[in-house]
Amino acid sequence: MTLADFAAIAGGFLAGLLSGAIGIGGGLVFVPMLTIGFRVTQTIAQGTSLAAIVPTALVGGVTHLRHGNADVQAAVWVGAAGVLGAIGGALIAVHVESTLLARVFGVFYVACALLLLQRALTTRSEEPPAESS
Amino acid sequence: MGGGFVMIPLLVLWAGLGQKVANATSLVAIIPIAIAAVPIYYFRQGGAPQVDLRVALFLVIGSSIGAYLGARALKRIPERQLRIGVAVLMVLVGIKQVVVP
Repeated sequence: MTLADFAAIAGGFLAGLLSGAIGIGGGLVFVPMLTIGFRVTQTIAQGTSLAAIVPTALVGGVTHLRHGNADVQAAVWVGAAGVLGAIGGALIAVHVESTLLARVFGVFYVACALLLLQRALTTRSEEPPAESS
Repeated sequence: MGGGFVMIPLLVLWAGLGQKVANATSLVAIIPIAIAAVPIYYFRQGGAPQVDLRVALFLVIGSSIGAYLGARALKRIPERQLRIGVAVLMVLVGIKQVVVP
């Protein structure tokens, strides 16, 4: 094992922690880590990230299901919508410039984040009643 | 993009789920999306996705352990701090996307 292998394990561990706790795939950490840290091309970074996300989401998602953390019905609906969205996105992406698409998503993230932040700061710290235990 | 940052705000703001349930639900939903993304990625690239298998293997060793521990830790993170953390991360990623798409 080389130093780079250990760096990949450590970086992967951090990405996994974030993935498990926040509920994102891990590409957010994998892609910049691979392009900046491992000096691979964007294409290889995205392919490698995608390959790593599948087992990461499986481990994290199954752990959530076993601990009863997730709303299974919502996950089925959102997962199905997400699959359709991914197919639709791939079709749209052929016709729309990718940088424009990335910017549109960026604006969407900031807008949603501000709404989430506003809600976090205005609601009390107790757990919402909808929380399943 | 796996779509986590699209699903989490929708689950919280629209479906009215708590932040913890939304985060966990998002990760469960990413499983089919990530699996579906593999063939989509195939077609878009016009060939097999280029994967650095050695790096992928070591990433997965770390990330699987991390994902297990992160998923187990979720229940112990206070809801309010989690909400703020997710929102701050989303603002940073959103700004990055707009500035360096």
